[in-house]
Amino acid sequence: MAVSPLILHPTSALQNTRSVSSPLKNAASTQTSSNGTPLAIQVVPNAAAAAQSTSLDIAEQLNEDEKRKYVKGKKLGEGTYANVYLGFLRSDPSQLVAIKKIKIQKEYTEGMAPDAVREIKHLQELSHPNIITMHSVFSSKDQNLNLVLEYLPLGDLEMLIHDTEHIRYGAADIKAWMGMLTRAIWFCHQNFVLHRDIKPNNLLIAADGEVKLADFGLARSFSDPYRPMTSNVITRWYRPPELLFGAQHYSGAVDIWSVGLVLAELVIRTPYIAGNSEIHQIQLICQAVGTPTEENWPGVTKLPDYTVDKEVIPLRGRDHYMTLFGTLGAEGVDLLMKTLSLDPKKRITAHEMLKHDWWHKDPRPTRKQDLPKKSGGQAKVGDDLKRRPGVIDEEKGNKVARKLDFGATK
Amino acid sequence: MVSTTSRPLTGQPQFDTCDPLSPRRLSQALLPSSHDSHDPQPSTPAHKYLGRLRASVRVTMATEDARYRQSSQYRLWSFSPTHLQSLREKTNSLAVSHISSRLRASSPPVDPLPDFLTPADEAMLLNFYIVDLLRAAQFCELPSEIQATAAIFFRRFYVTNSLMTYPPRALTMTCIFFACKAEGLYYRLQKFADKFPGITGEEVLAAEYVLCQGLRFAFDVRHPYRALEGAVMELRRLGDFDEARIVRAHQRTRDILKFSPLLTDAYFHYTPSQIMFGALSMADEGLLQRLLRDAFSGQSESSKNHVLETVQSCRAMLEKEPPERRTTFWDASGSKEAMKPLNKKLRKCRDPDRVDLVALQKARREQALQKTKGKVATKDDSDVFGASNGTVKDDEREAKRRRVAAGADMFGPPL
Repeated sequence: MAVSPLILHPTSALQNTRSVSSPLKNAASTQTSSNGTPLAIQVVPNAAAAAQSTSLDIAEQLNEDEKRKYVKGKKLGEGTYANVYLGFLRSDPSQLVAIKKIKIQKEYTEGMAPDAVREIKHLQELSHPNIITMHSVFSSKDQNLNLVLEYLPLGDLEMLIHDTEHIRYGAADIKAWMGMLTRAIWFCHQNFVLHRDIKPNNLLIAADGEVKLADFGLARSFSDPYRPMTSNVITRWYRPPELLFGAQHYSGAVDIWSVGLVLAELVIRTPYIAGNSEIHQIQLICQAVGTPTEENWPGVTKLPDYTVDKEVIPLRGRDHYMTLFGTLGAEGVDLLMKTLSLDPKKRITAHEMLKHDWWHKDPRPTRKQDLPKKSGGQAKVGDDLKRRPGVIDEEKGNKVARKLDFGATK
Repeated sequence: MVSTTSRPLTGQPQFDTCDPLSPRRLSQALLPSSHDSHDPQPSTPAHKYLGRLRASVRVTMATEDARYRQSSQYRLWSFSPTHLQSLREKTNSLAVSHISSRLRASSPPVDPLPDFLTPADEAMLLNFYIVDLLRAAQFCELPSEIQATAAIFFRRFYVTNSLMTYPPRALTMTCIFFACKAEGLYYRLQKFADKFPGITGEEVLAAEYVLCQGLRFAFDVRHPYRALEGAVMELRRLGDFDEARIVRAHQRTRDILKFSPLLTDAYFHYTPSQIMFGALSMADEGLLQRLLRDAFSGQSESSKNHVLETVQSCRAMLEKEPPERRTTFWDASGSKEAMKPLNKKLRKCRDPDRVDLVALQKARREQALQKTKGKVATKDDSDVFGASNGTVKDDEREAKRRRVAAGADMFGPPL
């Protein structure tokens, strides 16, 4: 069959129409293409023509099909890592999506950025009501990646937690949110994926109130026993002690610690253990939970970066937690304590969490449609998605520095 | 047609063959017999029994089968043999007609047209280059999963792209490099390129984007290696066999898995556990029988036989490329000799514009850049044309463009 010339479908006004380029446009860039291999046929190679070629092999057709399913609308957010657009399904404009267009990163000279690769890899595999859905990925002509994500217009959990003036919520709401988070993380672990960046602003809220775990830029599959992993993951405030001590072989327990701190934060409405350096973070953990020692955590002193203050603070008892987190009730506090176990081997697993008594005690979790909401989340969804996935807080400073630097060199 | 990438908006994966959300006019117009080859399901329904062996791991999630069906390997990269064959034929004929019209249109026109590779030629060359790829990956001392991922990436890429369109040698490098990335092993580009004389980092990266598109952005490949470790543990638990026999079978199965499924279409038609069983059956049929008896105890003989049949057909496929072939492929100058005419043929009929991936990549970037420029700044045309002349100037221009485009966001996102 002959090559059909590309049928240019009428593009919607919202989409960028691809301009027809002038024939002269690429004239200058044609000659450099030979890599020394003499061509068998006397044809002048013309890479520019190939780049603009209108014939589509199957791979390109498939990509084109995906692209055509969506219409890109207004920009919701712009960042260094990605721009986020509102979009909708061409066949059903009432179905909204968020299109995250990842920019080519000039400062990263090793090809496609690892965080984008990780995010795409894991979101392709995970499909669960409490994990952000990636409907599709396609590439545009200018070689940008476009991730078509679920549209989650109601912001994130961090906004709700910290807006103490306007937002009120109670124990039943906390239970509902925690249920959704626990199910999400259980599903990740069931699929042998560590998220490694759980924190309130990675928990986005859908129109119906469902909480969805997002940002898989630091995720990875479970490692084989002998293969080391990096300990430099998870935003510091939510980072468990074993990672602060430099452990290179760890498990889903690292995520559970973060989940525990999200629970604590939901109650006191401020980050529970907010250190301003790694050393400080360890000190605060010692104060909040107790000093890790060989007694409560066999082997801890062998971890590469084990350092604690001389003064040993004994493990905090139930009463201590009850005074701080009493609103959760005795069972809720029990669950919290089990997620904040210093020794990761003794820490509760996601599966055990789901079987905990707390869920069955009064008050019953709020139905998702009745959960507290915040309006004006549309700008926020752009903000949340455009962030480079897996950026952890201390990098914020670096990023600004890099940008200024970059401006100065030119 | 390959099933669609997108998931329906309900958030649930959909396995139906006709996704009502996807208008497939373009592809339907171009692809033959889209009716019979529509089914994205593997030819066998038997991954119903996938992972029986790991029942102890199973908690309350539906079943391991359901979980596997969510994977991109199942959704996007599993086909029936007829479907796969028609995809390859289509890929080949699209490339032939594209290159033909390109050659005819050049001045002076190429006449007569060269002999093009047939789908069978492409299949032979594909395996030749996969062996090459495995050798290079082994030279880099990569773990076997990453070697296998690279090989499967290569195999998948050339389902929808022809060897005549994109040069396979360059793609082997790109596949290895990208497989490392996809598996979370961050090889420095320069260090990687230095391993192979005559290859630059730029060349490794040039095809990365094209590769990702060809992979349909499915970067997770499910391998049978861990399944084998599980089966061996299970065999030990059963306690019916002496250790030496298990060790022997373990070793042999592992050797098979590191080669045979990568040189055949096993990954396209069978689940990882079926492939593992197929290889185990090659190594020691008795052990397979014992495992199946255990897994299907209390169930009908027919359901067991159903699985057994699938495993046997997988085994038959693997046996076409037993691990011994690796050495004949590698050492024998014979295989190189056999491939020589094909490689020669390829050199004569390939797409002249895409041989040099670096130039292609440059041209694509250039094109994108001009598009953005057109929108952002109101430079005059001579500026645009000037841009493509020298690299130094390009960089300057690019920096300028970025400063303009970054605009509001010069000082980073709001804190």
